[in-house]
Amino acid sequence: MTPTVAALVEATLALATVDSGSAADVVASAAPLLVEFPFQRNYITSIVRVSLYVSLTAVALATLASVPVALLVGFVDFPGKRLVVAVINTGMGFPSVVVGLLVLVLVSNQGPLGPLDLVFTKEAMIMSQFVLAWPVITGVSLAAVTSVEDGVRDAARAMGGTRVDVALVTVKEARYGIVTGVLAGVGRAISEVGSVFIVGGNIASADGTSITRTLTTAIQLEARQGRFETAMVLGAILLVLVLGVNAIVLRLGDQRGGR
Amino acid sequence: MSQSRETERESEAATEVPHDRHRAGEPVVSLDGVARRYGEEAVFEDVSIDARPGETLAIIGPSGAGKSTLLRMFGLFEPPDEGRVRVDDIDVWTVGERERLAARRRVGTVFQEANLFDASVQRNVAYGLHVRRRWPERLRESLRRFVRTDPPEAVRDALSTVGLADAATRDADSLSGGEAQRVAFARALAYDPDVLLLDEPTSDLDPRNTAVLENAVETARDSGMAVVMATHDMHQAERVADRVAVLLDGGLVEVGPAERLFENPDDPRTRKFVDGDLVY
Repeated sequence: MTPTVAALVEATLALATVDSGSAADVVASAAPLLVEFPFQRNYITSIVRVSLYVSLTAVALATLASVPVALLVGFVDFPGKRLVVAVINTGMGFPSVVVGLLVLVLVSNQGPLGPLDLVFTKEAMIMSQFVLAWPVITGVSLAAVTSVEDGVRDAARAMGGTRVDVALVTVKEARYGIVTGVLAGVGRAISEVGSVFIVGGNIASADGTSITRTLTTAIQLEARQGRFETAMVLGAILLVLVLGVNAIVLRLGDQRGGR
Repeated sequence: MSQSRETERESEAATEVPHDRHRAGEPVVSLDGVARRYGEEAVFEDVSIDARPGETLAIIGPSGAGKSTLLRMFGLFEPPDEGRVRVDDIDVWTVGERERLAARRRVGTVFQEANLFDASVQRNVAYGLHVRRRWPERLRESLRRFVRTDPPEAVRDALSTVGLADAATRDADSLSGGEAQRVAFARALAYDPDVLLLDEPTSDLDPRNTAVLENAVETARDSGMAVVMATHDMHQAERVADRVAVLLDGGLVEVGPAERLFENPDDPRTRKFVDGDLVY
């Protein structure tokens, strides 16, 4: 075992056994390391936890709201349908800082949701990420459900399916496309910085755990304060998460193409 | 096994399905003076025809005559621009959605293309049964599938009718075009409809698969179903139909027993069409 690897193993074992306060000292003493860890272990894990909680909750809610809208826009004619499609398409490229600003106005003391006291909370961040993820998931889902052949829906109807049954068949047939949309929404939400910074405030508690600090806002803060090692570690975690999501999307695409 | 032996085996399988059907001899679905127009132009007008139990009715005519549209009216997919569609004595386009759904559930349809779902053969064939269950029952059935994979009896029977008894667990995507169409046929049979509609079901099939499906049509007819088939293949109409309706020039020009119509038609246009002299 090389000295560097041995030092890393030693540091890892030490991290697992000592409290978080002394972890940084143990790691710092385990030289020579490529990256120093000038932070407490809870800091990183709490940031990842907040990021995942906010993004996944926002995407789950956005998915629930997206699929029915995609089915409605895809298969029902109604006045203003073109406008809805235009809103969805525009929303896919909506600047996140503007979304953050709008949500902040909404939840601020003077806004309609002011009494709920949501400023600088995870709930406000979920709202802003919902607004960002919804058009992405709806747009991709709309393309997926409208690509389901009419014949398949006719078959469901011919066998006695109700409107709900036909809609369920359509969703099932379009499932790969819808999941791709959901994963694209996850990618959009988790890598977004502007709106969560505005509505969340990038807050960490005195003991160093994140309250509304996400991976993206933390990277921005650490880089600005010159703690590049920390920023790099956070960036690597974010990159792994986004790459993981994209790998799933590609895998689904392969499966769909191979069918 | 040679191809003919295999076809023979599949044909034998087609006769194995037990049916216990008690139907009156009255028409199940009746079209009464129906018309379809696209803008000012009429595809057909004043068409009156019915589907009778235990009989195969073939609708023949050139491409664009409106055979598929007529079939869609039989299947309660779309209302006529004029006239009435009745199932038993119910005028289905004057009643509520619920009653119309109940009427539609008495009809099975096989389209020109198989249109199978992206699922196993078993799931495809069981779909008609599945949607007829109440939601709690559907949920129980879905949970049961985790522990029990053997198909329900109705699904097995329907697959046997088209000679695909062993294909239940296969993925629909793995089927050949002929097999897929046979599964589509089984899917329409599985819930034992009173009326079976076939829209050019063998137009893309090889002779072997065509023979299997024609045998299955005969089995369905013998079990008491009213079979209505739209086809431009007059030889097929002659082989499988008891009664033939000729859709030409925007209307039905002749309806009659197959044997008589092909040998001695009343209308000179039918004669020309049957002889292949009528060019469109």
